[in-house]
Amino acid sequence: MPGLTSESDDLAMVPVSSEPENHPAVIYPLHHGLKSPIHRLSISWARGNTLQVSVLGKPQLDTATDVDGREGGGGRVVEVKLSNSGDEEVDAARWRRIAYGSVTPFALLQSRKHSLSAMSLDNPPYKAQWWEHVIEYSKEINSLLSDRKSPPRSIIEDPKSVVNETAEPMCLKAAWELLEIFYVDKQSQSWIPERLLDWLADYDPLFSGTVPTIHSKLVDFQQELAGVQVVEEDPNYWEAIASALSIGWLGTVAKLLRLHGSYRFDQLASRETENGLVEAVAVLISKMPRMRPNLREENLGECYKTKPDFMKAWEKWRAQMTKLDCSSYWLQCDHQQTREGLKNLIQIMLGNPSVLSNATFNWMELFISHFLYVRPFTAGLESMYNLAQKCMQLKPISSPHKLFGLVLGILGENTEVVLAECSRSFGPWMMAHAVELLTAGSTHAEILLHEERSKLGGISIEELHKLVYAQVLSSHAFTWQITPIYLTSCIKQGIGLLENLLYKQPVQHSQILLKSIEICRLYELDTISSNIMRIAGMHHWKHGRKGSGVFWLQQARDEFRLNRIAKQLFDFVGKSVSDEGFKQWEGLIELLGSEPRTAGGLEFLNKYRDFRRSLLQVHGDTPTDGARNAAEALVSLMKNPSTPQRFWLPLLYDSLKLLNWQERPLLNVSQTQLLLNKLQELSMARLRPDFVEADLPSDSLSSVRLALATNLGRAILEE
Amino acid sequence: MDKPIIHLDKGTTCTAWNYSGQRLAAGSTDGNLSIFDSTDPASSVFSCSSKFKVHESSIVKIIWAPPEYGDAVVCICADGSLLLWEEVVEDSELLQWKLCKCFDRISSQVLDVQFGVSKTSLKLVAAYSDGQVKVFELLDPFELKNWQLQAEFQNVIESVSKFGNVSCQSASIAWNPLKGEIQQSSFVLGFNSDMPQMNSSKVWEFDQDHQRWLPVAELALPADKGDPVSTVAWAPNIGRPYELIAISTSKEIAIWHVGSNPDPGGRLSVEKVATLSTHDSEVWQMEWDMSGMTLATTGSDDVVRLWQSDLNGVWHEQAVLEPTS
Repeated sequence: MPGLTSESDDLAMVPVSSEPENHPAVIYPLHHGLKSPIHRLSISWARGNTLQVSVLGKPQLDTATDVDGREGGGGRVVEVKLSNSGDEEVDAARWRRIAYGSVTPFALLQSRKHSLSAMSLDNPPYKAQWWEHVIEYSKEINSLLSDRKSPPRSIIEDPKSVVNETAEPMCLKAAWELLEIFYVDKQSQSWIPERLLDWLADYDPLFSGTVPTIHSKLVDFQQELAGVQVVEEDPNYWEAIASALSIGWLGTVAKLLRLHGSYRFDQLASRETENGLVEAVAVLISKMPRMRPNLREENLGECYKTKPDFMKAWEKWRAQMTKLDCSSYWLQCDHQQTREGLKNLIQIMLGNPSVLSNATFNWMELFISHFLYVRPFTAGLESMYNLAQKCMQLKPISSPHKLFGLVLGILGENTEVVLAECSRSFGPWMMAHAVELLTAGSTHAEILLHEERSKLGGISIEELHKLVYAQVLSSHAFTWQITPIYLTSCIKQGIGLLENLLYKQPVQHSQILLKSIEICRLYELDTISSNIMRIAGMHHWKHGRKGSGVFWLQQARDEFRLNRIAKQLFDFVGKSVSDEGFKQWEGLIELLGSEPRTAGGLEFLNKYRDFRRSLLQVHGDTPTDGARNAAEALVSLMKNPSTPQRFWLPLLYDSLKLLNWQERPLLNVSQTQLLLNKLQELSMARLRPDFVEADLPSDSLSSVRLALATNLGRAILEE
Repeated sequence: MDKPIIHLDKGTTCTAWNYSGQRLAAGSTDGNLSIFDSTDPASSVFSCSSKFKVHESSIVKIIWAPPEYGDAVVCICADGSLLLWEEVVEDSELLQWKLCKCFDRISSQVLDVQFGVSKTSLKLVAAYSDGQVKVFELLDPFELKNWQLQAEFQNVIESVSKFGNVSCQSASIAWNPLKGEIQQSSFVLGFNSDMPQMNSSKVWEFDQDHQRWLPVAELALPADKGDPVSTVAWAPNIGRPYELIAISTSKEIAIWHVGSNPDPGGRLSVEKVATLSTHDSEVWQMEWDMSGMTLATTGSDDVVRLWQSDLNGVWHEQAVLEPTS
């Protein structure tokens, strides 16, 4: 990352084991672009690992900067993502692809672990099954890391192309493969040196930026090759061959040897012996015994699957080599460079340590060359580690590549170092996913990673790394949705973090709201779900979308707030409002529903709505039947005990036109008497100090009483 | 890694993000409040959606109300007044910010306020320059103007009598950031005052049975009890068996573990687990991330420091963000 003042390229906030010496904090620049001096900073955490820093300029200096005409004063808000992918070589889009792609294998493995753990994982048959699952998982993740397409190969192979520039290798993939080789792939345990050789063949270019490598040597030589007429006279030619041979790139060696001038038709006759020697070496190289099941494309040698067969072949091959070395044909070879070059190659194959050391450029290459030619029967991590130490002493490097540290940690069987290297160099994604490989392959790692630690608040290191990764995922709007997969695999604190994450979602965006609710439903987070819906309901209500507000509050089953809304609707009772206003009010009542559990006042509100609706339909020219319906609704409302007393007078006052109906009285004697009794009760209640007077004209009571009295008279006459 | 996302106006004195980190409120010396919004939650493009004058004097601090109560902020102003503003759309009018409540101020100034959510009500704790602590309660979730004074006390453990003539420079309050509704609400409070008994941070919990606030823990070693507290921060708890609280004084930042089960006397067990150097600067703000694993601090040295515990429970300064133009 450009501009960082430290060597580290990632600000991954991952807790690691304390280093022996007190490490000073790493300093990162915070680019804000503000010209005036800083007055103060203000910080706030957004979702995940995102920190929002407000950088505020000195307020009193504002006017001064104004006069200068500079852009000054004010402030900037800077968003700081505290953890990126962990690797600068991965861009954001590619990182998201990896993040999304690893979800399915991870989730599948977790569910398999879950079902197997029910059957006790320690039983040998289940353990074997588990191995297979982990291998499958590892392969899938591995293929995910190499999704970049290789450039198309030219149809006509260029004989002078010695180095294949295939897909750009990735450190992340290289690290993953190392873990796979050593922890997961049990079948390759017998031929680990050969697997390391393949690994180096794939990833040697990665080291070129940090340390000298054979790969960069070959790339340089290839460029030079175009201008060279007689290659065998160029010392670089022989050096390139020796280097390629030393780390087992036999295909490249064979290709280079074919460029030897003695193969040319015009020279074949005069350089017969020389050519014979070149060919003899080439044949021996192609017959080199290899302790591996099969060869990769473009590689040479003869494969042996069992150790005895391999040892027998190896002895025979070495004998042939020694015989060739002592052959008298060398004396007949006039070409000095060829003679010395070929002899050097034989020395490499005979395992001459100083020649190997000269041919390789860093300890990793030297290490591989020793496997191939000095100690082909090396087995066991301890002896490999000792060999690595020896090679490091022979070829010390000032700034080692991060993968070298990982290799050493693995060979040294030091899980802490492996974890620290993975965490420091490859970031939270690696930690969350590689834990499965480590725990499957090493009992020590399993104990270390699964042990619950009180110092970590009761969680294991495995869980810690998953939590950290989940926090990285939740920092971004495109990846937060996959965090539940990781968090639900954290037994202790995963759900707690998921709840906090869901609570921080901006639920006024309907898509995010629906997604959050779906996650809550999947993981049975009812309290959070209600809370999210409550937030959404309040947001809509306060922003004028009352219907949505009520809907979401109902979804949240927030009786408290719904009751409060119902009470607010009471304010409408007895007020004269426009048709439009009534419609809105009516709609809200409709939404609130009539279920008594929702709100006590709702029964009244529903009845009142019916009454009001029928009353609105009553005009001077309405048939009496219609008006009678309204009158019935009034009586039913007044009879109902749920009708609050404070609404009695407004209801009656609203109904004056019914009470004074011209054509005939709408209420019979008993109904009128009921209403008169209510009116009497109301008059008594008015004497009490807590009585609240309705907001009506002063003569309202008397006009209602008069109307009722008239109605009573007419009703008696009619009956 | 770092990206400027908002340009703030001249004279901006303070900022505050809402619960989701999608809205920023910025206060300025002339008493104006600006609201910045991002229309798309996936983008970090923000624009000013509202700007309005909340008060005659400079805004010192802004705190967003919990989202369960709508979009509202309280502003503490330089003259010590406390105002609550709310964003509403009323009766098919346009969206607008309205003053809901201007809290009474007699002679003392408001130093800090924080909202706390309980099952049925919203609480607001305010610390004043005369050393008084007031807890207000909102009974109707739709009416942000109707606040009731629930309690008034001083930040002392055993108060036989009330301390008079106290002068406080600053105070800091942090609620237990608990989202569930089971546990009782509590908060931690510390002062920077001329009254040593008042300074040390105490955890206050509401006693339902007796309807009063009780101090259940004191977060200071016996020798440090009088140290003025500059800021406190209560970490989110995603499953730890203890609570984590950071306290900064002029000397240090201390990390405390607070147990969750009270002893027979009603006190919670406390343990100071880390003492972090403030590098001779005053700490003005401390914020925990959402997992409670990383503490970010900032202060008079104008840098952001990030602190974390390692696998052995030892706290370290992990990183420093140093502003550079």
